[in-house]
Amino acid sequence: MSHILTILTFLPLVGATVVAFIPRTATAKIRWVALVTSLVTLAWGIGLFLGFDLHHPGLQFVENYPWIESPPVAYHLGVDGLSVLLLLLTVFLAPLAILASWRSIGERVKEFHLLMLALETGMNGVFVAQDLFLFFVFWEAMLIPMYFLIGIWGHERRIYAAVKFILYTMLGSALMLVAILYLYNATGTLELPAILAQLSGPAPPISPKGARWLFLAFFLAFAIKVPLFPLHTWLPDAHVEAPVAGSVILAGVLLKMGTYGILRFCLPLFPEASRQFAPVISVLAVIGILYGSLVSMVQPDLKKLVAYSSVAHLGFVVLGIFAFNPMGLEGAIYQMCNHGVSTGALFILVGMLYDRRHTRLISEFGGLSSVLPVLGAFFLFVTLSSLGLPMLNGFVGEFLIILGAFHRRALYGALAATGVVLAAVYLLWMYQRVFLGEVRSEKNRALADCSGREKLILTAMAAVILGMGVYPQPFLRRLDQSVAEVLARVQPGEEAALVFGSPKGWNDASRVATSSATTFHAPWLLPLPGPERERGPLDLTRDSRRELRDAAPAELKGIAGVACTPGEAPRAGMNRR
Amino acid sequence: MTIPPHWYLALGTGLFTVGVVGVLTRRNVIVILMSIELILNAVNINLVAFSRMFHSVDGQVFAIFVITDAAAEAAIGLGLIIALFRNKETVNADEIDLLKW
Amino acid sequence: MTPVQALDFIRVLPEIVLASCAILVMVAEPFVSARHTAALAWVSLIGIVAAGAGNAWMRRFSGPAFGGSIAADPFASYFVYLLLLAAALTLLGSVRYLETNQVHHGEFYALLLLGTTGACLMVAATELIMIFIGLEISSISTYILAGFRRADKRSNEACLKYFLLGSFATAFLLYGIAFIYGLTGTTNLVQLSEKLSAPGARPPLLWIALILAFVGLGFKVSTVPFHIWTPDVYQGAPAPVTAFLSVAPKAAAFAVILRVFLGGLASAGALVFWLLWISALLTMCLGNLAALWQTNIKRLLAYSAIAHAGYVLVGMAAAKAAGPEAGEGIASVLFYLAAYALMNVAAFILVAHLAGAGERYQEADDCTGLAYQRPGVAACLTLLLVSLSGFPATAGFFAKFYVFRAAIHAHLIGLTLVAVLNSVVAVYYYLRVVVAMYMREGNPRASASPLPWPLGAALALSLVGIFYLGLFPTPFVRLANLAASPLP
Repeated sequence: MSHILTILTFLPLVGATVVAFIPRTATAKIRWVALVTSLVTLAWGIGLFLGFDLHHPGLQFVENYPWIESPPVAYHLGVDGLSVLLLLLTVFLAPLAILASWRSIGERVKEFHLLMLALETGMNGVFVAQDLFLFFVFWEAMLIPMYFLIGIWGHERRIYAAVKFILYTMLGSALMLVAILYLYNATGTLELPAILAQLSGPAPPISPKGARWLFLAFFLAFAIKVPLFPLHTWLPDAHVEAPVAGSVILAGVLLKMGTYGILRFCLPLFPEASRQFAPVISVLAVIGILYGSLVSMVQPDLKKLVAYSSVAHLGFVVLGIFAFNPMGLEGAIYQMCNHGVSTGALFILVGMLYDRRHTRLISEFGGLSSVLPVLGAFFLFVTLSSLGLPMLNGFVGEFLIILGAFHRRALYGALAATGVVLAAVYLLWMYQRVFLGEVRSEKNRALADCSGREKLILTAMAAVILGMGVYPQPFLRRLDQSVAEVLARVQPGEEAALVFGSPKGWNDASRVATSSATTFHAPWLLPLPGPERERGPLDLTRDSRRELRDAAPAELKGIAGVACTPGEAPRAGMNRR
Repeated sequence: MTIPPHWYLALGTGLFTVGVVGVLTRRNVIVILMSIELILNAVNINLVAFSRMFHSVDGQVFAIFVITDAAAEAAIGLGLIIALFRNKETVNADEIDLLKW
Repeated sequence: MTPVQALDFIRVLPEIVLASCAILVMVAEPFVSARHTAALAWVSLIGIVAAGAGNAWMRRFSGPAFGGSIAADPFASYFVYLLLLAAALTLLGSVRYLETNQVHHGEFYALLLLGTTGACLMVAATELIMIFIGLEISSISTYILAGFRRADKRSNEACLKYFLLGSFATAFLLYGIAFIYGLTGTTNLVQLSEKLSAPGARPPLLWIALILAFVGLGFKVSTVPFHIWTPDVYQGAPAPVTAFLSVAPKAAAFAVILRVFLGGLASAGALVFWLLWISALLTMCLGNLAALWQTNIKRLLAYSAIAHAGYVLVGMAAAKAAGPEAGEGIASVLFYLAAYALMNVAAFILVAHLAGAGERYQEADDCTGLAYQRPGVAACLTLLLVSLSGFPATAGFFAKFYVFRAAIHAHLIGLTLVAVLNSVVAVYYYLRVVVAMYMREGNPRASASPLPWPLGAALALSLVGIFYLGLFPTPFVRLANLAASPLP
C-alpha cells in the first residue's frame, strides 16, 4: 500500500510541528515554513489529482490498516473523484489563505500558523477518511483550530461567533455520532464500503423507519455545516468575525464538508430516505437560494454580503444534489469547487479592502476603481465568476444545477434561475457602490493598489477561475465514477445517462444536455458568437435576458437554462419521461 | 417472654426517622451531628435484632464496627466544629454560607 | 471459617503497603526538620509505587481472602491501579502547593495514603461490612483533608459540609445494609447473589433496602439529587484535595455500586435499572446545566464532575439493561473512570497552581490572557478541557464513545440522545475558560509563575495517558474487559 494519502493528510501537521519549535519572535521564518509546507502539500495534491485514474471505479490510493480493535476501526483512507476535487480545493486554498494573512496577522503569528496547518490536516483527513469513525475524528478535530482562528484573530464579536460556530457544529455532529453508533450496532462494522454492502444487500439490517431517523441525524449534521436555510444563522457571524484566512477556509472548504457528507454518507447509505425527504430538502434549498440572495442585497457590510451569498450558493449545491440526476450532481460538485474558489477570492478581496481602510461598510467606499485599478479589475472578475458569467467557473456549475433541477421539477429550476438573477443584482450593485462612480470619501484617495504578494494571490485565483470555466473537463471527468456510484444507489437508472452512447439510446438533445464528462464538450463552452458576448454581462437584467433568449441560436435554447423560460428546456431538451 | 423482632425494627425505624428529621430541620451543627449518631444507633439496634433473629454473630460484629465508626466520626466532627468555631464563632448551619452558587 | 493464612495477607498487599507507609510518614514527621518535609512526599510516592508493584505481583495469587470478605480479582486490581494513579498525581500536584500555602504537614501525605487505602479496600471488598469499613477509612481521611487549610473559612466550611452530609449518607447506606442483612441473613455479596437468585426468594421489603443503599452510595458519587454538597466542597477544599476527592472516593463508590447492584443484588432487576436510569438522566442534565452559570473554575469543574458521574451512570444503566451481556457496559464504565481520573486530577492540580497562594484566583476571568504569558500552561489546561468535553483523539472522547456504544447496544437510545446533547452543552462551559485564556485581552491575575517540576511531571503523565487512551485505546479496552469479567 502506498502512503500518498497519509503524506498528503499529515504533511501540514509536520509543518505545524516544525513551527512549534521556532521561537515566536522569528515571525518571518514561521510564515515561510507554513507557506512552504502548504505549497509542498499543494504540489502533492496536484500530483494526486493528475495520478487519479479516470476509469477506475471505486476508491483509489487506498490505505487500510486496523487501528482499534473494538469497535473495529480501521485507518482506512481512499479517494474517489469527489474527494479528489475537494482535496485539490483544500490544498489550493490553504497556501492562499496563509499568503493572504501575511500582513494582516501581526500578532500571535506562531499560534496562527500552527493552527492553520493543523486545520489543513483536519480538512484533508475529512475528505480521505473511508471509515465512519475516522471521518468523525477528523470532522470534530478540525473544529478546534477553526474555533481558535475565529476566536483569537477575529473582529469585535469574535468570541460570540466562535462559540456559536462550535456549538452549532457540535450539535449536529453529536447526533451524527449517535447515528454512527446505531449503524455500527446494526451492521457490526464502521467501514463505509462494508456498511454500504450490508445496507444494499438482500436483507438490510435497518428498517426503513430506522433509516429515516438515521438519515435525519446525518443530514442535520451536514445541513448545519452547509448551511441549509433554517440552520444557517451561525454562518454570517462566523464569516464576518473570522480573520481573512478563516473566512476563506470556512467558505472554501468547511461548508463543502456538509455537502460532501451528504454525498458521501446520506445518499448512498439511505437512498430510500433520501428520496423521501428530497422534496422537503429541495424546497429548503430553494428558500435558501432566494433568502440568501434577498438578504445579501440589503447588507451594508461587504463581508456579510458575501457570507449571505454563500447561503444562496450552497442552496444551489443542495438543490443540485437532491435533483438525483447526473446534471444536478455533477453541477453541484463542480459548484462546490467554484464556490470555494470564487467566494474564497471574494473574502480575500474584501480582506484587502479592510487592510487598507479598516472598515467593511459599503457606504464608506465608492469610486475605488480609479484609485485601485488592479484591485478593482480583479474584484470585477471574481464578482462575475461568483454570479455565474459564462466562460467563468460559476456558470458551469449553476447551469448544470439548474438543468438538473428543471429536470427534477420545473418549479425548482425556475426559482433557482431567479436566484441567479438576484445574484447578479446584489453582486453587481455591490461592485457598483464600491468601485464605480466618484470617490466620495477623502480617506479613499490615497489608498495603495495591490502589492506584488496580493497580485500573486489574485492572479492564481483568477487563473483557476478562468481555467475551471473554460475547460472543466479535467475536473468533471474525475467525477463520473463517483457520481455514477451515488446515482446507482439513490436513483438507479439515472447513472446510465453518464455513459456516452449508452445502449438505451438517448436522443441527441439529451446527450448534449447531459453533463457527463464524456459528453461535456458542448459548443457553448467555446467563445460564443452573437449578442451574448457583445452585450457584456453587466447589464444582464431581466429584460436583457429575455432579449438574449430570443436572440440566442436555436441550439442554445435547450441548454442555456438561465435564458429559457421555466420548463422549456427540460421539456424540449431532455424529455425522458 | 421474648420480644418479637419487629418491635426492635419499629424502635429502629423510630430512631431513624427522628435522626433524619433532626438532620434536615435543625440548624445547630452539633445537634445535626447528634442526629446522625441517632441514625447510627438505629442501625445498631436493627443489626443486633437481626443477629438475634438469625442466631448468628455477624450482625453484632457489624454493630461493633458501627460503634467504632460512630466514635471516630464524633471525634473528627467535633474537631472540625472547633476549627470552624475558631474562625467564624458560630455553630449555626445557616451562617455557614460562604460557598453558594 | 477457614483460618487466616499468609495468602490472605498477600491478597491485600497494596492496602498493607499503603497503610504501613502512611503510618511511617506520620511517625516520621516530627523527626523531619521543617525544611525537609518534601522528603515525606517522596516516601509516600515510593509507597504508592510499591503498592502498585504489590498489586502487579498479587495477580498471581488472585482469589478470595479473609473468609470471602475481600477478593483479589482483576476488577479490584484495575481499580487499585486507578486509585494509586489518582493518589500519585495528587501527591505530585500537592508538593509545591503545600509549600506556597504554608501547610507543611506530613499528615497530609499520611491522610492521602490512608484515604487511598480505604478506597482500595472498598473496591476489593465482597462483603458489605468490609465495604463499610473501607468507605469509612477513606471518608474520614478525606473529611480531614478537605479542611486542611485550617485558617481558611472556605476550607472549614467545605470540610464541615462534606463531613455532615457524608456521615448522613453513610448512615443511610448502613441502614440499607442492615436491612439487606435482615432480609437475607448474610452480608456476603456472593451468598447474597445466590440467595436472591434462588427461585421464589424475593424478600418483600428488599426495595427499601435497595433505595437506602443507593441513596448512601449516590451521595458518594454525587448523583442528583444527592449532589448538593459537591460544588461547595470541591470549591472550598484545597485544590489538590479536590483533585483527589473528585476521583478516588468517587471511583471507589462506583466500583461498589457495580459490585453490589450489578453483582450481589443483580437479581433485583428492574428497580435497579430504573434507579440508575433516572439518576443518570438527572445527574447529566443538572450537572451540565448548573455548570453553565459558573464563573469559578473549581466550582465549574465540580459541576462537570457531577455531569461526568451522569455519563458513568448511563454506562451502568446500559450494563443493567443488557442483562447477561453486561460486560460491555461495565467495561465502558471502567474505561470512563480511568479517563476521568486522568483528566480530572490533572485539571484540579493545574487549577491549584493557577489559583496561587491562598487560592485567591479561582475565577475564569483571572486567567484572562494567560495564553500569552504562559503558553505551555494554557495549552495544557486547554487540552485537559478539550478532553473533558470529549473531543476526538483524547481519552474523554473514547470514554464517552464506549459508554454511548454500550447504551445504544442496550437500546437506550433516548438516554444516549440526552447524553450526547448534554455533551454539547458541556462544550460551552469548558470553552469559557479557554475563551478567557486565549481570546480576551488583558493580563492574567492567576499565578503566572512557572510550573514546579513535580506538577509538570504529573501533567505530562496525564497528558500522555490522555492521548494514549485517545489514540490507541485497544490495549486498555482489553484490560477493562478483563477487569469487568469477574462481575456476572
